Amino acid sequence: MGHEIIRKEDLNPKDYLMEVEAPMVAKKIKPGQFVILMTHAKGERIPMSVQKAENGNVTMFIRKLGKTSVELYTYKVGDHFENVIGPMGTAVEVKKYGNVAVCSDLVCGHAENYALCKALRQIEGNHVISMQTFPSKEMMYLEDELRGVSDEYYMTLEDGSYGIKGHYRDVLEKMMKEGKIDMVFAGGRTGEYPLLAELTKAYNVPAMVTLRPIMVDATGMCGSCRVFIDGEMKLACIDGPMFDAHKVNFKELLNRVKMFKKQEATALENYNK
Amino acid sequence: MLVKLIKNRVPMPELSVEERTKTFNEVPLGYSEEQAINEAKRCLQCKDSPCTKNCPVNVDVNGFIKELAEGNFKEAFLKIKEDNAIPAIAGRVCPQENQCEGACTMGKAGDPINIGKLEAFLGDWARRNGIREEFTIKENGQKVAVIGSGPTGISCAVDLRKHGYKVTVFEALHKAGGVLQYGIPEFRLPKKVVDEELSYLKEIGVDIRLNHIIGQNVSFDELRDEYDAIYIGTGAGAPFFVGIEGEELNGVYSANEFLIRTNLMKAYNPDYDTPLFVGKKVGVIGAGNVAMDSARSALRNGAEVYIIYRRTKGHSPAREEEKRHALEEGIHFMELVSPTKILGENGWVTGIELVKMKLGEPDKSGRPRPEKIEGSEFTMELDTVVEAIGTRPNRLFLRTVPELKTTSRGIIEVDENLKNIGGIYAGGDAISGGATVIQALGEGRKAAKSIHAYLSAQ
Repeated sequence: MGHEIIRKEDLNPKDYLMEVEAPMVAKKIKPGQFVILMTHAKGERIPMSVQKAENGNVTMFIRKLGKTSVELYTYKVGDHFENVIGPMGTAVEVKKYGNVAVCSDLVCGHAENYALCKALRQIEGNHVISMQTFPSKEMMYLEDELRGVSDEYYMTLEDGSYGIKGHYRDVLEKMMKEGKIDMVFAGGRTGEYPLLAELTKAYNVPAMVTLRPIMVDATGMCGSCRVFIDGEMKLACIDGPMFDAHKVNFKELLNRVKMFKKQEATALENYNK
Repeated sequence: MLVKLIKNRVPMPELSVEERTKTFNEVPLGYSEEQAINEAKRCLQCKDSPCTKNCPVNVDVNGFIKELAEGNFKEAFLKIKEDNAIPAIAGRVCPQENQCEGACTMGKAGDPINIGKLEAFLGDWARRNGIREEFTIKENGQKVAVIGSGPTGISCAVDLRKHGYKVTVFEALHKAGGVLQYGIPEFRLPKKVVDEELSYLKEIGVDIRLNHIIGQNVSFDELRDEYDAIYIGTGAGAPFFVGIEGEELNGVYSANEFLIRTNLMKAYNPDYDTPLFVGKKVGVIGAGNVAMDSARSALRNGAEVYIIYRRTKGHSPAREEEKRHALEEGIHFMELVSPTKILGENGWVTGIELVKMKLGEPDKSGRPRPEKIEGSEFTMELDTVVEAIGTRPNRLFLRTVPELKTTSRGIIEVDENLKNIGGIYAGGDAISGGATVIQALGEGRKAAKSIHAYLSAQ
């Protein structure tokens, strides 16, 4: 019973990857979709981005952040998770966009970056530009693999210790100025999305971002992940998780992700005791 | 022969109000064998059986009560099972006052027979004593898929299996039971009861596949290719929101979210990881069963709870027992008020603006239409709002099956045999938009009959 862990690797001191047996999910999942993971029978249902779905396994990137993701890290190769459910959500349209930038600055975003680049590059006429941002050199990962699935690649570090100093937005702005970007996909820190939305809007370049509101069932039943797109209530779990960055009410989203902060902090504290 | 009427019911022992506010344990403690027999003996055995006529699945009430009155528990249990696959559940959640008990002749002279509690007693008794229906299944080689493991799916699956079909039930969540699992709280329907009644399906060879989301990881076309017929029992699992200002604030839940966290994910139990925020003062919008369930769950988390209802108590569609329990437990029932705005500060709920209502002419539901009293707005402080104003069928499933006939509100349309299009049948809340467990059970049975007729003719 359950889903066997096939591979577990540290990506950096905070992030790790887990490759888990999930044949039904692996067969169907498309870029933009996600899975729901339950560590054990008493665990939460948490949404996870998927980097790869191959040989009946899915590879997820996870950050040690709350009780569940810290506990998850204690699982070893050969252990089993209770449930890996999916694919959830709506896939992005994999079609010809032209010069398409895929950007990420946080763990889940990096996983999606790979999945998107790989799929978009299969389409003739796409020039796929992958961009990553990390705080520092010791935190970076996935560069080689992303170079392998993109036509152009940029590593940006916020401390400038490698690659280009700054955020992927800086590279994006330069390229948009030169008219070299037709479409942007981005995933990662929600707090950066409003700036990305503003920037792409200024250059009239469409942008899709992955939203990560709190979810429970992720099948459209609870409404916890309600987001407001152009003033209309949508559910990120089934209508998203990718939405037009120019239409999202980020202020509301940034507030709503704080709903269980207190409970989450207590849970982690109790777990660490 | 003159029968002496015993006007009063054998009282149902219940958990004390004080205990109830601290625990999610079931409130009615159940009849003992002796109490059940005494209650059954009150039955007049009316020749015209108004109770049976008023039951959506026409349980032979006289029949089972007669056996029960004579102490024949097994016979009584088997009598119910002829018409109802899940007596321990139905006995607990049916609105008996509108059905069997509402029609009971004894009700004219005193208390109607406590039919629901007797049904639950027999279901529990059979479970405890390992009593099962005995029948042999003759495999017929045909396959039927049932989408959804809620009440309607369960009853359809059981009947089809008895006819010899190979039945596979697809459930999107990680636990079977649908609304019985995620919607109805432990204090009203212990999950142990649900799990045990469902284990019967597995025993008779029904294959229940959890985490199978039709349209997401299994396509409807795949089902059509593999199965000879399909029964859709996907329920009405998507919440309505009131659509007022402030619904984006932290502290606002749909009742579905509040109850899924509480029931399916067991957030009230510290051993489970799913968090739940319940403030000090909770407002629940609506007054149906789901509102009562939300209110009573919030109360058990230590909150002061207000039901906010636009009509008056008497018009609330909740079961009588739930209303009584809620009031006993200290839930405040605000009548003739409707929310106009949820108030907040720094992203969190701080209160609600309400407008006073009056009752007007009857509307389509036959209840008086609530009308706003202009200019009567007032505010009250709250830190949590739970919206329990109804649900609708989930578009996640429907969007992948455009060939199904549906109304604009996503209700699946069916003919008198519960057929939608060739080989595809539907029932339960997916065709009603939201009704009772027992009605869903009845439709499951009816669909099983239709499917059997359809497949036998082929």
